[in-house]
Amino acid sequence: MKNDTYVLIPVFNEEEVLENIITEIKKEGYSNIIVVDDGSTDNTYEVVKKQKVIVLRHLLNRGKGAAIKTGFEAAKLLKAEIIITVDGDGQHDPKDIKKLVKKIDEGYDVVLGFRRMKLDSMPLIKIVYNYIANLSTWAIYGFWTCDSQSGIRGYSKKAISVINTKNDGYEYESEVLREIAWHKLKSVEVPINVFYTKYSRSKKHKQSLSNGIRTVLKMIITS
Amino acid sequence: MNFIDFSFYKIIVILISSYFIVRQLYKFLNREQYQSFIKFIATIIVWGGVIVFISVPGLSHFISEKLGLGKNLNTLIFTGFILVFILIFKLISIIEKVEKNITDIVRKEALREVKNEKS
Repeated sequence: MKNDTYVLIPVFNEEEVLENIITEIKKEGYSNIIVVDDGSTDNTYEVVKKQKVIVLRHLLNRGKGAAIKTGFEAAKLLKAEIIITVDGDGQHDPKDIKKLVKKIDEGYDVVLGFRRMKLDSMPLIKIVYNYIANLSTWAIYGFWTCDSQSGIRGYSKKAISVINTKNDGYEYESEVLREIAWHKLKSVEVPINVFYTKYSRSKKHKQSLSNGIRTVLKMIITS
Repeated sequence: MNFIDFSFYKIIVILISSYFIVRQLYKFLNREQYQSFIKFIATIIVWGGVIVFISVPGLSHFISEKLGLGKNLNTLIFTGFILVFILIFKLISIIEKVEKNITDIVRKEALREVKNEKS
């Protein structure tokens, strides 16, 4: 396993599942893990501190986009060659990290994990939200993807150095796609597994309609 | 000018406007956090203006004529909308800038340890 591959996990109030996620990622052979605690109000920071990982703490909650950007800055300082981002709520399968790294090794700059939009693996409301998000991303940024909101992604050293996002919230996920188009980065999509657990479904702030509308509005304003 | 014409909707609007003025006055007099004299005056002008214009329907026509717009009140309303849009746009820009500054400070603090280890 390469030592210059970093797994980046942005987290906000994930004390219940984070320890398990880190353990699973380490089992897959990735020991360079950066956790960005985005101003959690529970014991997330204390939980991560006990793990052998790099912990960065936002004193205030600034949003997923801001947390990932902080992780990117840290990875640059640590001379990372590859960054894989994984969500902190345990919905991603750590086994998929290998697939993404493999594609980067094949010469791709950005690897986008995409979830299968099927009713047996994803709630209907999520499927609808995702189609709307994909359409909005295409209309605003001109980049079509099967899953514009997927959090599991891989970035090469070139991508790490040129991608410069400005949005702090969930609109970050779509903004990255604009950056791929602008910088003509070589990208590919790979299918990934996703687990919609009782816990991840309970994270209402991520999937509310008002949050979705706010995200699209911010994309329009900042495009 | 028709001064007094209290229909139901006018009473509701006057009550709502009065509520905002009294609330702001209460906050200002109690020296609550983030309250300032400018904010208090702005509240009086905006909500007081609503009360005046709704109580004196002829006033908007009067101002419109004095401004040389004649009976063309729509122009005055349209100008008002433009000003409100400019104000909102300005406010959004300011908020965005402040948000960005906060994020930059938070990020700088979060990265301090990694930077120190590397230097």
